[in-house]
Amino acid sequence: MERNINRKRIDSATIISAAIVLCLYIAVFIAEQILPSTSMLFTVLKKGATYALVAVSMNLCNGFTGIFSLGQAGFMLIGAYVYGIFTIPVISRADVYQYYSGGLVQFTLPVFVAMLLAGLAAAFFAFLIGLPVLRLKSDYLAIATLGFAEIIRALFQWDKLGPVTNGSNMLRLFPTFNDFNIRGADGQVTVYLSTLVPLLISGVCIGAIILLINSTFGRALKAIRDDEIAAEAMGVRLASHKRLAFCISSFFAGVGGAMLAMYQTTVQAKSFTTAMTYEILLIVVIGGIGSVTGSCISSFLFVAASEWWLRFLDQKQMIGNFEVPLLRNGFRLVVFSIIIMIVVLFFRRGIMGTRELPDIIRGWQRKKKGGASK
Amino acid sequence: MSENVLHIDHLTMRFGGVVAVNDLSMDINRGEIVALIGPNGAGKTTAFNMVTGVYTPTEGKVVLAGQDVTGKRPDEITKLGVARTFQNIRLFSSMTVFENVLTAKHLRRTSNFLTATFRMNMAEERRMRAETEKLLREVDLYDLKDEMATSLPYGKQRLLEIARALATEPKLLLLDEPAAGMNPQETDDLGAFIKQIKDKFDLTVFLIEHHMNLVMGISDRIYVIDFGKQIAEGTPAQVQDNPAVIAAYLGVDEDEGQLSQADEEVRG
Amino acid sequence: MWNTVFPYILSGISVGGQYALIAIGYTMVYGILRLINFAHGDVFMVSGIIMVYMAASGAPLWLCIPLVLILTALIGFVIERVAYKPLRTAPRMSAMISAIGVSYTLQNLVLYITGGLNQIYPTIPWISDSVTLFGATTKVVTVVTPILTLILVVALVLLINHTKIGMAMRAVSRDFETSQLMGIKINSVISTTFVIGTFLAGVASLLYFTNYTTVIQTSGAMPGLKAFVAAVFGGIGSIPGAVIGAFIIGIAENIIKGLDIILFKAGIIPGPMGLATFSDAFTFALLIIILAVKPTGLFGEKTTDKV
Repeated sequence: MERNINRKRIDSATIISAAIVLCLYIAVFIAEQILPSTSMLFTVLKKGATYALVAVSMNLCNGFTGIFSLGQAGFMLIGAYVYGIFTIPVISRADVYQYYSGGLVQFTLPVFVAMLLAGLAAAFFAFLIGLPVLRLKSDYLAIATLGFAEIIRALFQWDKLGPVTNGSNMLRLFPTFNDFNIRGADGQVTVYLSTLVPLLISGVCIGAIILLINSTFGRALKAIRDDEIAAEAMGVRLASHKRLAFCISSFFAGVGGAMLAMYQTTVQAKSFTTAMTYEILLIVVIGGIGSVTGSCISSFLFVAASEWWLRFLDQKQMIGNFEVPLLRNGFRLVVFSIIIMIVVLFFRRGIMGTRELPDIIRGWQRKKKGGASK
Repeated sequence: MSENVLHIDHLTMRFGGVVAVNDLSMDINRGEIVALIGPNGAGKTTAFNMVTGVYTPTEGKVVLAGQDVTGKRPDEITKLGVARTFQNIRLFSSMTVFENVLTAKHLRRTSNFLTATFRMNMAEERRMRAETEKLLREVDLYDLKDEMATSLPYGKQRLLEIARALATEPKLLLLDEPAAGMNPQETDDLGAFIKQIKDKFDLTVFLIEHHMNLVMGISDRIYVIDFGKQIAEGTPAQVQDNPAVIAAYLGVDEDEGQLSQADEEVRG
Repeated sequence: MWNTVFPYILSGISVGGQYALIAIGYTMVYGILRLINFAHGDVFMVSGIIMVYMAASGAPLWLCIPLVLILTALIGFVIERVAYKPLRTAPRMSAMISAIGVSYTLQNLVLYITGGLNQIYPTIPWISDSVTLFGATTKVVTVVTPILTLILVVALVLLINHTKIGMAMRAVSRDFETSQLMGIKINSVISTTFVIGTFLAGVASLLYFTNYTTVIQTSGAMPGLKAFVAAVFGGIGSIPGAVIGAFIIGIAENIIKGLDIILFKAGIIPGPMGLATFSDAFTFALLIIILAVKPTGLFGEKTTDKV
């Protein structure tokens, strides 16, 4: 694998990559105005945008820094709750917090402020849990962060915190992705943005992560992943850099949690299980540990396959008079599991390995040049 | 009296019941090349690890230019101007030659993660890259800058480790068996190279080495340890004539051979 | 006071014994492969499902029980060969991811087969009977579990200390590469470890589901994690450590389940605090504390990295 990182100026491959992303955004915008808003495509894009952000944030920790954290669901939960708690309109609070006489919080924050707060809250918890946990070795760290997520899940369901968290009842009636649509005076939607905005939020966050990874701090993080002892000998302070990666990763997991809340329209602590973390980890693995592009592609594929393309596996299918065997509820997940095991065992580098989109474009350019010179 | 760079004061390191280094004291002055030799398992690398903060000594002190650094973390010690290479090469395997050296520049940054992420440190980033480029030219690795570090031949990897250590802007450079795996020609070149970088970067060099030609050729002084204890100290000529040193190396065929070979060379 | 606390302690001991049997599998595998076998808890669950289906097929229980145990051990063997053996030279993270993948696969497979519905566990005579002990009514299984656990642990320790395969296991867990060079058949040692570990998980599943009576695809996740915590708590790689850790966690978790009632009856709190919510969380808090204070657990050995 050959990479040319010693680029001082932005090269054409980077520009082409940015252009591709921009085109995709424009295509989504146009599609959203033309196609019916109930199309499966938009469901997939919305959920995919959410998962892409969470997967990339996990990749920052697990792939780029080598901290094998399994606390993702916990940080998403914090983000989702903080978002929900601070954005439910005051008039709806009596309804949502019906068992806690309207709840404690009696004000509403703007959506983007609440999302930022969601990220900060998750990062704050990451900072606290990082103090004891980040000193641990790979698998101990994994199990400790996993345990932390379980503690958070129990804490948010605790009855005594009900006035804030609504206990084990769900939070609802907060602004969702649909509220990004611009409506005319008659209440009719004039411009559809409910898919584009989540994709933009996710894109901006992932962009920030990419900038971090390609900065001097990103190099230090990769150094830690490659060889902790050498990194430390070269003057990289392990504790602060690991904490940095862990907190930033959690910040974006928190923002991702807020997005998940908006996507689902309701939030309940009990759904943020270890299985959710595993799912995100598997997305990262399929995409390629250490590739942002891979995590993004894999998120959309994963969501599209599970919500859309493989749905037929869960229902009886007839070909003429022949009923296809095995197809019934749950078969989709079995097929899924098998695909994942095949990737894990035989295609360990995933879709992208550690390559990114510009690397691939550079490869094409080189090939073309080589072909032309012949 | 010349300026003291490193003072090791009665260092002892125990692992459970094993005493790896036993009451070791040393002094290294500015501008010297000092070698630490001894049979395999004598505790040389352990001594290095205590100086660089990888291990905290069980007893004793490490003093850098008058400052007690015992118990400090490796990165803190590196920041104080001590850089090292490793016996079993530890390059950053996912990075190119250029990135390996560039990463070591991280230490002397002034940016924080926000200014670095949002590219408000472009001047610094340019400086880091320019310095890395200069360094790679000086060690003659510039043509290989875009190769993956681990794809280089062994000798070049050792050279790259030295370049990476130099990127941290050290005053004291610790080399752990820099000639291991090199052929005689490469070893000779390395000797000249060490002297050259010593002058160019105003370094003090402390090295562990088994190749006696190299050690005898470039060292100002040599410390010899066996079973964690110092058994001799002095100029190459003094050490070669020391009966305790000869005794320690007897029975260790390979090293003995190298020693007598070095003997001939120095005297001849 | 005692009458309030005792039933919780009793079921704590019982669950602790079941965790102990699962934890041994974790600790042995970790000792040899340095791998957290995330799928172990799911094998335990699958063992329960096999029992459900086998009993439903009309086979007599005296036949079902040994068959279930053998099949469970076989599953452990197959999982190791298919999912872990190919990754033996890969980075440790790959094997751990594979374990998570196996866990995901087993859960989804069971979801597909059962349709995601709670399966009623067959009633095993005698151990399902009720018994009264010091004024507390419980099932016989509660009393049988700790006794059976101790018998099995003693047998296992004897096996490890006094047989050739046991010696090989100890050698491999001390130094993988050297044992290989010494001519120990690594693969058969690892397979034996998995077979023993999953067999014990099978026994645990018989006892556990007799007590809780229903099985669903997620039934294995929590007991699995807790058993792993027990293994870490006791010092991973140490069998007595895992057993002691498991009993501590089992008892602590059950006391927390009843803490509202206990504290209320003792007059410490005026009303229910909903503390039972934290019975699972407590285990993990304990884990984080022990890892922060003594990362090698109660009986673990210290290891140093070579530079």
